[in-house]
Amino acid sequence: MADQGMEGSQPVDLTKHPSGIVPTLQNIVSTVNLDCKLDLKAIALQARNAEYNPKRFAAVIMRIREPKTTALIFASGKMVCTGAKSEHLSKLAARKYARIVQKLGFPAKFKDFKIQNIVGSCDVKFPIRLEGLAYSHSAFSSYEPELFPGLIYRMKQPKIVLLIFVSGKIVITGAKMRDETYTAFENIYPVLSEFRKVQQ
Amino acid sequence: MATFELYRRSTIGMCLTETLDEMVQSGTLSPELAIQVLVQFDKSMTEALESQVKTKVSIKGHLHTYRFCDNVWTFILQDAMFKSEDRQENVSRVKIVACDSKLLTQ
Repeated sequence: MADQGMEGSQPVDLTKHPSGIVPTLQNIVSTVNLDCKLDLKAIALQARNAEYNPKRFAAVIMRIREPKTTALIFASGKMVCTGAKSEHLSKLAARKYARIVQKLGFPAKFKDFKIQNIVGSCDVKFPIRLEGLAYSHSAFSSYEPELFPGLIYRMKQPKIVLLIFVSGKIVITGAKMRDETYTAFENIYPVLSEFRKVQQ
Repeated sequence: MATFELYRRSTIGMCLTETLDEMVQSGTLSPELAIQVLVQFDKSMTEALESQVKTKVSIKGHLHTYRFCDNVWTFILQDAMFKSEDRQENVSRVKIVACDSKLLTQ
């Protein structure tokens, strides 16, 4: 498997990941304040790989190839960086965008960098009975197969949302720290095992 | 009505501009009329490309840089392959400038 690539190459720390599965981080969203007013049109005209269509969206959309990310840059100097695969890469990308803005002549700083969301995913490699799970965990679950094929599980502790699919593929979102992603998965894993679909 | 001036940088546009310049210099044409001719050239190029050119070309290459600002897309491609019905050609570096023709009717 492409995800859970850690398996085999590196032994999984079973004290931290008793399930033996480590969710793969897929997307990190971070914000930072460049702490200076920006002329978005000047940025769009001078920087490479930038889009600016103020009629549609009031920010410059800029992309870099390494780390492969997208930034939304606002006139207020606030910036959102999406697409990175780890917290470290998200910060590195945000620093690169800040550097680009600096090079265009703005006194950009790098204030209040914060990870806002971490999305992870994994595969438990067995099918799941979503109806049963939704029924017995009704306080946390929302399962409307006519609207969306996955079960939405709103965990309270940690406060994380999980999307659980029949196939056994899981998406874990809403974390600000990667350990919340890991804890949420370890919390749900015994429940998934309980509602494992027995194949005929 | 606004016109796209981008075709003035084409070979035919440059030749026309050069000739108009000469005529203005020698006094056979007023500068106002020369401008009017250029505006008509913009309109005619747009119209001709729309109604008389049937050839389709596909361009495929590595997108080095893109930009969208003031409703103009700019693309810089590397190692691009131009393919038309009967022939194809490799170009190491291409700049594509594209405007939205809807802006002309607004």
